[in-house]
Amino acid sequence: MEERQIHVVEIKAPVADVWAEITKLKQIQKPMFGTVLETDFKPGSRMIYKSEDGKRVFIIGEVHEFVPPKRFVHTFRFTNLPETPTLVEWTLEEKGGVTRVTVVHSKFVDQKKTADSVRTSWVDILGNIKAMVETGNVPFKTRMMLGMMSAFMFMAPKDTLRQNIPELKEKK
Amino acid sequence: MSHEDLDHVWRALANPHRRRILDVLRDKPCTTGEVAAALGENRFLVMQHLNLLREADLVTVEVDGRRRINHLNPVPIQHIYERWVGKYQGDWAAALVGLKRTVEARSAKNETRRLKRA
Repeated sequence: MEERQIHVVEIKAPVADVWAEITKLKQIQKPMFGTVLETDFKPGSRMIYKSEDGKRVFIIGEVHEFVPPKRFVHTFRFTNLPETPTLVEWTLEEKGGVTRVTVVHSKFVDQKKTADSVRTSWVDILGNIKAMVETGNVPFKTRMMLGMMSAFMFMAPKDTLRQNIPELKEKK
Repeated sequence: MSHEDLDHVWRALANPHRRRILDVLRDKPCTTGEVAAALGENRFLVMQHLNLLREADLVTVEVDGRRRINHLNPVPIQHIYERWVGKYQGDWAAALVGLKRTVEARSAKNETRRLKRA
């Protein structure tokens, strides 16, 4: 059976606030390991999670669905892994002031490294989104990690440099 | 995360049968029947335990045609961890960064001294 990873979190906030954090552009998304999302959200368009200075791209994909404030579906490929794209589906539902966020990560055929990496990452990301929306910041541990990641950014694999990413070399 | 939210999680975890169910689901998502078979337990009992785990959001169900697949959702466990352990882990990370700086500063100083001597 094709692997499907499902992660759920309940956030005590209106769906609009959660949606705003997940789809925030131009500013860093602390829960997403301090990356900046870049896309126009049109189905078929490119979407990337990049470093704050824009020199590195960590995740690249294509928008499949964008239905505010409920659903965001896109393909997902780590630029530093030689693996084919997988699929991420964000679904948000609000009930009585509580927003339930479900992330389904699927289309794992043989992308073992991606699967192993995101299995733990989604737990952190969803916990961090909850903390960010409910308290205005990510937990101390994450802030520490973001600081260390930006300090060691120069050591990140060369595959993450914008000019080395195959998808960005094609004209589109 | 408030205490009430975590109450559900603690209650769900405070039972050896339910913890074994989570162990089974950690290996791979399963139907209720598969969980019962893996544990050699009564299907009805497993179903009751699964309901409690779902209420605590430790298990999420996905419908796949006629099959209902149970998935482990470790996010609430992470909240418990974050609340009691994460803070100390942060201190530990801070201490490591401090150590790195000290060691690097020291080796830089040694290097300067060596160069001066040469």
